[in-house]
Amino acid sequence: METLNPRVRLVWAVGAVVTATVLGAVAAAVDRFVFEVGVPVVVAVAGLALAAGVVNAVLKYRIWRFDVREDDLYLERGVLTRVNTVVPFVRVQHVDTQRGPVERTLGLASVVVYTAGSRGADVTVPGLTPERADELQERLRRLAIESERESDAV
Amino acid sequence: MKLHPLSIPYRGLSRGASVGFMLYFVGQSLSGTDFLPAPLDQPILVALAGVAVVTVWQVAYFRRFEYELTDDGLDVASGVLSRRHREIPLGRIQNVDISRNVLQRALGVAAVDVETAGGGATEASLQYVDYDEAKRLQREIQRRKRGGDGAGESDAEAAGAADAEAELFALDLDDLLLLSVLSFDLRYLSLLAFGPAAFPVVPGFAEVAFVGGVVLVALLLAGLWALSAAVTFARYYGFRLARVGDELRYERGLLQRYDGSIPLEKVQTITLRENVLMRRVGYATLAVETAGYAPGQTPSGGSEAAVPLATRESVLELANELEEFDPPEFERPPERARTRYAIRYALSLAVLAGLLLGTRALFGVPGSQALAAAPLAFVVLAPVAGHLKWLNRGYAVGEDHVFTRNGFWTRTTKVVPYYRIQTVIQSRTPFQRRQRWRLASVVIDTASSAGGPALAADLDREDATALRERLGEQLQANLAERRSESESRSVSDSDSQSDSDSDSKSQSDSDSDSDSSGPAGPARRD
Repeated sequence: METLNPRVRLVWAVGAVVTATVLGAVAAAVDRFVFEVGVPVVVAVAGLALAAGVVNAVLKYRIWRFDVREDDLYLERGVLTRVNTVVPFVRVQHVDTQRGPVERTLGLASVVVYTAGSRGADVTVPGLTPERADELQERLRRLAIESERESDAV
Repeated sequence: MKLHPLSIPYRGLSRGASVGFMLYFVGQSLSGTDFLPAPLDQPILVALAGVAVVTVWQVAYFRRFEYELTDDGLDVASGVLSRRHREIPLGRIQNVDISRNVLQRALGVAAVDVETAGGGATEASLQYVDYDEAKRLQREIQRRKRGGDGAGESDAEAAGAADAEAELFALDLDDLLLLSVLSFDLRYLSLLAFGPAAFPVVPGFAEVAFVGGVVLVALLLAGLWALSAAVTFARYYGFRLARVGDELRYERGLLQRYDGSIPLEKVQTITLRENVLMRRVGYATLAVETAGYAPGQTPSGGSEAAVPLATRESVLELANELEEFDPPEFERPPERARTRYAIRYALSLAVLAGLLLGTRALFGVPGSQALAAAPLAFVVLAPVAGHLKWLNRGYAVGEDHVFTRNGFWTRTTKVVPYYRIQTVIQSRTPFQRRQRWRLASVVIDTASSAGGPALAADLDREDATALRERLGEQLQANLAERRSESESRSVSDSDSQSDSDSDSKSQSDSDSDSDSSGPAGPARRD
């Protein structure tokens, strides 16, 4: 089983900071224009959101695992609801690599695997180094083509 | 080929009418002001101008619309201002639906909708062509698909086979009436939300109002039932299902007549539905799902319905004709799951009562304390509800299929062939994860776009993990089996796999057709 790059915690933490800032701004706006709740409450809202986000990022990293197995890609994730997904290579439609601005700054990338399923039609593997992401994409693509001959039309 | 010339006035009228109405009111509010040029200062004139513009547009649309069925696929060129040329490969076509409403039937025209698995909306919609032309298209698409498949078959033979139609099921009037009465769509209940608004809340007379409310709700329910029955009746009037070669054909509808084709090789899952009433009288509904419609989209013709109502035995017989399977022996969730359901129901009732009491205390909403606490009275029913839910849940692993079953009010049984599995998702919510329950659910996802994926709910954790792994292995085994079958069937024909090889959402890459079965090329470019 492969774990993610530890730096992915930072990517998620940045996300948590953004969420906390937005929530804090909303609370501040409510405080200013709707009814007064007091500055401590505003700070508490933002602080709690930030703390929850950071804890979530740490736990998420600890739980996230994936494995390129013989016939399928296997993922384990989810802080509250644990989700284990099996994506057979035969079902892979196409594979993307993605690099958001934060990921680029931290030197990370994500791989997105698409299937034709109605639910969970795309599966994202975050927190990979760009080399690993490219390698994974290439490997999944090859495995998908290899097994494609056996596959069946939708 | 062009559309039917009558489609100009038809489209012009149906679209022009709404535009005309709108413009009439706009004109009415604008008349008398200086906005409109003097000759147009009459609401009716504004409306007529709108209708004229729409009609001209329809003429242009007609002139620009061109379609052609070739050996490779269906080409459609359309668009007045921005033009679009679309080619749909034959092998990717899922459903071909023909629909005609009363007026269209009188005019002898029909709308043809061609669905593939990709994209959101219907891929090609021909509005409108001659009815015979519509039928011809439906037949031709099937024939040419096979023409590309079968190597030695001559066209005449193929056409002959295509014409041989075997009726699988026809809904007679008695069954239709029964169906109309039995199928109460729970979604109609949302209309009940208007119920409380229909009677005023009189402070101090809460109990009287409550009784009145109950009577009103009962009346509304009866009305909704009648409405639902009428809708069902019109929908499934004259239902007929036939097998034509490798396709299913259905016809149905009283006012709007539908006829559609479902290629058997595209069937993703088979769903059996029985609501409480149907179970009592031993009836069931069968649905055949393809990937033709986007998730969440209401199928244009509801073509996923294969048999609206028949006795349980004949439904099973029919399902077996489509997919061969032995009667499954369902394994229910462990008994602790039943305890959990009961607790869950009781808790949600308690929460509801708490909320009612809370709002009463906070905002002084009328109604006695007893009324607000009423949900608590239903707690005695929680174990019963939990038991019923548990009783109707289960999963089964067959030789070539996996089965899931859920729901008390409408029991839904899904039959998923292993080789249709897309992904397998095992999940455990924080509650399921507690040491006391140790449960997990497994979602078996297919490309089917109707009715949601198959769910094996609340298995023992170890069983869920075993099921997850087993499904993955079965998929591989089943695919290998199918591959060796198809290879032994047509070694010489390198094209034979073109249909079954790749998925319709991806671009058709010519690579997949070349038959060298060597190791995956290191640098195959799509």
